[in-house]
Amino acid sequence: MATFFGEVLSVYSRAVEEEDREDEDENEEDVEIRRELEEKRTVHLKWCPEVSQAIEACSDKKLFCSHLIIAAGTNAAGFVSTFILNPARWHPVGWLALWNERNRGSGLKNSPPAPGKPGCVIYQQKEGGSVLICQCTCYVAEDQLFQWTEKLFAGLQKRGLTVTVLSDAPIAEYKTADYLHGRDVPFLCALKTSAYKEVVNSPFLEQPNIVTGLPAAVLCHCQVHGIPAVLYQNYSDVISADSITMEAYKPALTLTKSVKLEPPSTAFLQKFTRGGDVHDNLYT
Amino acid sequence: MSARYDRAITVFSPDGHLFQVEYAQEAVKKGSTAVGIRGKDIVVLGVEKKSVAKLQEERTVRKICVLDEHVCMAFAGLTADARIVINRARVECQSHRLTVEDPVTVEYITRYIATLKQRYTQSNGRRPFGISALIVGFDYDGTPRLYQTDPSGTYHAWKANAIGRSAKTVREFLEKNYTEEAIAGDNEAIKLAIKALLEVVQSGGKNIELAIIRRNQPLKILEASEIETLVAEIEKEKEEEAEKKKQKKSS
Repeated sequence: MATFFGEVLSVYSRAVEEEDREDEDENEEDVEIRRELEEKRTVHLKWCPEVSQAIEACSDKKLFCSHLIIAAGTNAAGFVSTFILNPARWHPVGWLALWNERNRGSGLKNSPPAPGKPGCVIYQQKEGGSVLICQCTCYVAEDQLFQWTEKLFAGLQKRGLTVTVLSDAPIAEYKTADYLHGRDVPFLCALKTSAYKEVVNSPFLEQPNIVTGLPAAVLCHCQVHGIPAVLYQNYSDVISADSITMEAYKPALTLTKSVKLEPPSTAFLQKFTRGGDVHDNLYT
Repeated sequence: MSARYDRAITVFSPDGHLFQVEYAQEAVKKGSTAVGIRGKDIVVLGVEKKSVAKLQEERTVRKICVLDEHVCMAFAGLTADARIVINRARVECQSHRLTVEDPVTVEYITRYIATLKQRYTQSNGRRPFGISALIVGFDYDGTPRLYQTDPSGTYHAWKANAIGRSAKTVREFLEKNYTEEAIAGDNEAIKLAIKALLEVVQSGGKNIELAIIRRNQPLKILEASEIETLVAEIEKEKEEEAEKKKQKKSS
């Protein structure tokens, strides 16, 4: 494969038929293994009983949602936890269970992921608002992205739905002509679907930068189905939870009327971000 | 795009950048803030203390190091790189004393450190040191000095400067507040350093470490209680100023 910059990378390609693949040798056992693997990698969406009932009660068996916020990554999830998800007003109503090589823990179909453990949990306001927040802190493999997106959106009505995706990205992957004298890290870059008409509170992501993974899958789905969606990609040089990176997400939701940002307590923020700091003796 | 020019330190990019050196300067910004102030009869180094792990010995996590009796330095950036540079500088200080029977001048040892750093920007297979240093002390003629070095091997003399995370904010504060009046006495210079650090340090005096050298005296690291007293004085002065402003407004 030739990249934008002219480097040639060798990658696996389904377009090329390799001569040594002999399908005739595949026996029942192989088929069985393949099927079991596929089953293991299936993404399951589970709702809590109240929401399941609400879905059953609707005529088209889909939940009405006016605003879906997806937070993908440690700092996006941290931002949403500290600035929005006040336990007095929000409660978890569902989760997506999946298994892959990097994420063996959140495959529990019968119970939600424990707090603090990687997983995809969906929150709703206690008085039953129409806003859903999906916090995704686990790794979703490439082959599971389509399933993940399809299953999540299959349960939601398209009418009146707006999607906001918040995602972390490493600054090392940000390509720009003027590398060092550009913006101060962390900063936001946005991408939106053609149906999204509202104000975007950050500059757009310029070429040749691309978005991959979960945010890309969600945005693609929304573009294909004509759902207004906006993605805010937060480029940061910190790989762990960091309060400054979390605060960089504020412009993404300040203009949104459906959720209110509450200033978090310093103690709570420190607790959230303390993990990596103390043992980092690399820099003094 | 910088992709091809950051792989080897000795390669210039077409527009004249040495990317590894510039990236090393980014590593410096990952270290906590250090500030240096040159007073009339005193030089002050203030640093933001790093939070220490529960089982870690606090006294082994130091940003301020003595190079000789009359010179000390604070650094920001990669801890291990700093250790190497400090060791080399200490040996050079003693070697100088033995060979020329005089203590080093602050400029001499700064030039030595800067030359060492520059050598690593021109060697193949080696990366630059990821630290910036603030070197303070008194020359044998009694002149106070403050120098700053960076990973590229440049060094300059300063009246006051800051390095590390949030250095820009601290430098802007110093540019506004470093006046002859502000450094008139030793106490004032120390308070200026504390005020500069309080601009960027969370949770106040607990996280500040301060070292001073007075003319013909060895390095002194201030006790936590002394810093707390000074912080309290600074806060009182701030309140008094705010009161005065209020009264002026109302009259």
